[in-house]
Amino acid sequence: MAETKKRNVFQRLYVGNGAFDIVGKRKRWYLVFGLILLICIGSIVFRGFNLGIDFTGGTRIQMPAISSSGTIGVEEAKESFEKAIGKEPAATQTVGTGDAATIQIRSETLNADEVLKLKTTLNDDLQPNGGVDAISDSAVSASWGGEITSQALIALIVFFIAVMIFLALYFELSMAIAALVAVLHDVLITAGVYSIVGFEVSPATVIGLLTILGFSLYDTVVVFDKVRENTRGLLGLTRRTYGEAANLAVNQTLMRSINTSLIAVLPVLGLLAIGVGLLGVGTLKDLALVQLTGIIIGALSSIYIATPVAVDLKMRDARYKAQAARVQARRDNLARKAATGEATAEVLSGGDIVESTDDESLQAELRKEKAMAAAAGVPARTGKSTDTRRRPTGKKHR
Amino acid sequence: MAPPAGQIRPAKYLGAFVLIVVALYSLVFFTGNGKATPKLGIDLQGGTRVTLTARAPDGKTPSEESLNQARTLIETRVNGLGVAGPEVIRDGTNLVITVPGSDSEGAKRLGQTAKLNFRKVIGSPVPNAPEPAPSDSATPSASGSAVPTTTGSAAPTESAGSAAPTTTAQGRPAPAFEAQPETTTPPAATTTPAADPNAPVDPNAPAGEQPPAESQVDCRAVFQGQYSDDPTKAIEESRTCRQDPQLTTLDAQTVSQALGAFTCPAVDPLIGNDDPALPLLTCDQDRTEKYVLAPVTPPTDGSVKDDDFSLYSRLSGEDIDNAVSGTDPQGAGFVVDLTFKGEGGDKWGKFTSANVSQQVAVVLDTQVVSAPNINEPILGGSTQISGKFTQAEANSLANVLKYGSLPLSFEASEAETVSATLGLASLKAGLIAGGIGLALVFVYCLFYYRLLGVLTILSLVLSGVIVYAVLVLLGRWIGFTLDLAGIAGFIVSIGITADSFVVFFERLKDEMREGRSFRSAVPRAWVRSRRTILSADMVSFLAAAILYVLAVGQVKGFAFTLGMSTVLDLVVVFLVTHPLVSMISKSKRLSNPKLSGLGGAVQASVDDRALSGAKSTAVKEV
Repeated sequence: MAETKKRNVFQRLYVGNGAFDIVGKRKRWYLVFGLILLICIGSIVFRGFNLGIDFTGGTRIQMPAISSSGTIGVEEAKESFEKAIGKEPAATQTVGTGDAATIQIRSETLNADEVLKLKTTLNDDLQPNGGVDAISDSAVSASWGGEITSQALIALIVFFIAVMIFLALYFELSMAIAALVAVLHDVLITAGVYSIVGFEVSPATVIGLLTILGFSLYDTVVVFDKVRENTRGLLGLTRRTYGEAANLAVNQTLMRSINTSLIAVLPVLGLLAIGVGLLGVGTLKDLALVQLTGIIIGALSSIYIATPVAVDLKMRDARYKAQAARVQARRDNLARKAATGEATAEVLSGGDIVESTDDESLQAELRKEKAMAAAAGVPARTGKSTDTRRRPTGKKHR
Repeated sequence: MAPPAGQIRPAKYLGAFVLIVVALYSLVFFTGNGKATPKLGIDLQGGTRVTLTARAPDGKTPSEESLNQARTLIETRVNGLGVAGPEVIRDGTNLVITVPGSDSEGAKRLGQTAKLNFRKVIGSPVPNAPEPAPSDSATPSASGSAVPTTTGSAAPTESAGSAAPTTTAQGRPAPAFEAQPETTTPPAATTTPAADPNAPVDPNAPAGEQPPAESQVDCRAVFQGQYSDDPTKAIEESRTCRQDPQLTTLDAQTVSQALGAFTCPAVDPLIGNDDPALPLLTCDQDRTEKYVLAPVTPPTDGSVKDDDFSLYSRLSGEDIDNAVSGTDPQGAGFVVDLTFKGEGGDKWGKFTSANVSQQVAVVLDTQVVSAPNINEPILGGSTQISGKFTQAEANSLANVLKYGSLPLSFEASEAETVSATLGLASLKAGLIAGGIGLALVFVYCLFYYRLLGVLTILSLVLSGVIVYAVLVLLGRWIGFTLDLAGIAGFIVSIGITADSFVVFFERLKDEMREGRSFRSAVPRAWVRSRRTILSADMVSFLAAAILYVLAVGQVKGFAFTLGMSTVLDLVVVFLVTHPLVSMISKSKRLSNPKLSGLGGAVQASVDDRALSGAKSTAVKEV
């Protein structure tokens, strides 16, 4: 139809009228994300992670890179370190820019006396702004990161179980499983991206990985909510199949998904820009990258993985298969009629008009709402109107 | 004027919200110190944080009781540092010591204080490094009748010469023998080992070649300082080799050989995990001297009489009442005065009586802190340790003795000192990041939702207002500190908070697309989106709660702020956003589709109808 073509991508997105066939072409998405997943797993397996000080153990010294006589160079800091300790530091680098620039020195674990000596020497040699008090240090045992990780893994498992129960009760088992598949996919891809980018893995990263679970599920819940709404009472109808109803739901929530993700990503982008560019502050930077990847992947997976998987699982149910067959039969019927007159071609395009099928339940809820508000409020109602409202229920105490 | 029945009354909800805000802020300003600043973590204000992890020798979780006891003890000790505002928090099996301010170096040393024991030195110590250690001596502060003889049978039953102990290998501790005192060379006299410390292990050396049948432990490697990477295994290895029960039953020469073969490990896996019922082969804290030490307590099989103190001091740090450092009244230098409590004084008297002119080692966490000579029996429950101490050394020994005994041993997992300037910079960076993030969200919302965007911004700001108040209050009530991870949590939660609005507005758009007016769309959209918002927030709260309960360290702060903002988000959506939207929907001027940013949806609905209209006409035409 000429008129439908006229709407561009953005309009179709904005209106959400089911113009994007996402569920129907799910095999393609499985393939694409399967490939990405493979790359990520490959990177995790072969490249591994750049484990931070919390996992390897050691001492980190941090001090302003600005002294009264100008900027402190990495080499100077290294020399001073060697002078104080007699060994070379494991790594020396400048992070951040401008006034916020700091020098970070990492080395094997130093004891309290050595740290004190090192601080004094660094201060004497380099005279960073703020004197010896401006030099920070942190010592971490090698087991600390491991402890955090094992705790995180426990949290992960508990979280999965809790979420499974919640989703299975709130939606249904097939959706719970689909949501879980999507979340697992998100975690793996985020971890893979981390491995590819090569950022240092810190406890904050591990934790950030856990919080994207929340994000990913949040998105999925919103989409599934709409799917459920669209498929209520579907078995009795022959207008569309489960897959088409789900596709419509995805389209209807597409703009929301994009908006939400954008709004969530914007602050995280700010965090990343500040974290990496200005300060090199560990926690901020680590969390930001994880969140950034997680939010984007989480939004994508709720659309491209979660819903299609839910549809696939659902279609294993004989009743839904039968319903899909009935829909097909009706369409064939219509098509046959259309052969004589192309009038009903619109039906074949899979439902151009956005509509919701749970109007009844919504109406019921709205009525209840009104009654509640009325009961809680000033009795300003006229007897007549309330009586009208009450009569159908037959309950006096409502 | 009352609105018609069945309509929500926005003013009521908004009133409730105002009430909450007023209540929160009156709590902020009129309780506590009345200062409206949240408690900042040390990474934001500068200071030292030390995380101590309880070391469980057998992998078991330490008991609640002992953890709490340790917490109290460490708290006392931290307060003893004399810095302002220290805090010791239990976090699972960790103790987190936070000392704000820049002058808090001392906090880092707290972790090393742990299990204290008194053990008799068997034989004479052997230097680990070429330089001889200064010899310590103890002068009694109380004198009594001198009974310098050891009790018990002194029959040396060990095989002659460089014994072949393999034949006597036993799984249980060997019965105690009192042979040692007779064969011991005077402690002060020697620093020359019988065996060269660097010589290869004597094949017959007792501990060196005593692998128990059940586990193949290579004691030669252990003696050269090579341990397994797995901590539990390493502890087991060190116990097998360095706590061999036979160490007390062997003649001086064999003991010397064992000592000679032993190298002080750079990082001792046994630290804090030695068994007080077994002898111990160890070094002093500087790793300059090596010792063979007698068990603290005798075996429990009744083979040793209760009054036999010839080997066993039966004294641990818990018997110490007090320890004070002071100047030596009889000369230059510093001494440590020590008092025992309960039966401790009695035990100490009996022990010193039985071991005059022997050395007793103060063993802290498996390492010898000091090994003074017993000059004469010390009765009366107090004693004085003198030696070539500097004031700092005497002080630290007194502290170790006084506070040294924790029911558990700890390891510093993480020690961090953040300078005040860096903390300030981090805070600034966090706030800038939050500000930028918020500004971007504002711009986007205004662009996309126009008037509703203004509402979003207003709601976000109000949400920020209550978050801040709750933050201040929580800092006051439960000591919640805002750290960098917490700030990150807030920034991330901006997205989650804004999402509730997005869900609501998108539903609104859906309803309007179906051809409803703004006014009639609002209640329908609200009912639908409310369910979504609740379930989505539930999931995200679940994530935060599980993280909070299970995670350790900084992560807790992140999870806490995330969970808190999720809950407060619900408050704002229910009490502010929805009532405001519903108010707007009733105003003709404000609900103009162009202003509300929903014009597109209305247009789409018009288009749709026009389209289907066009189609139906087309049908008719055909």
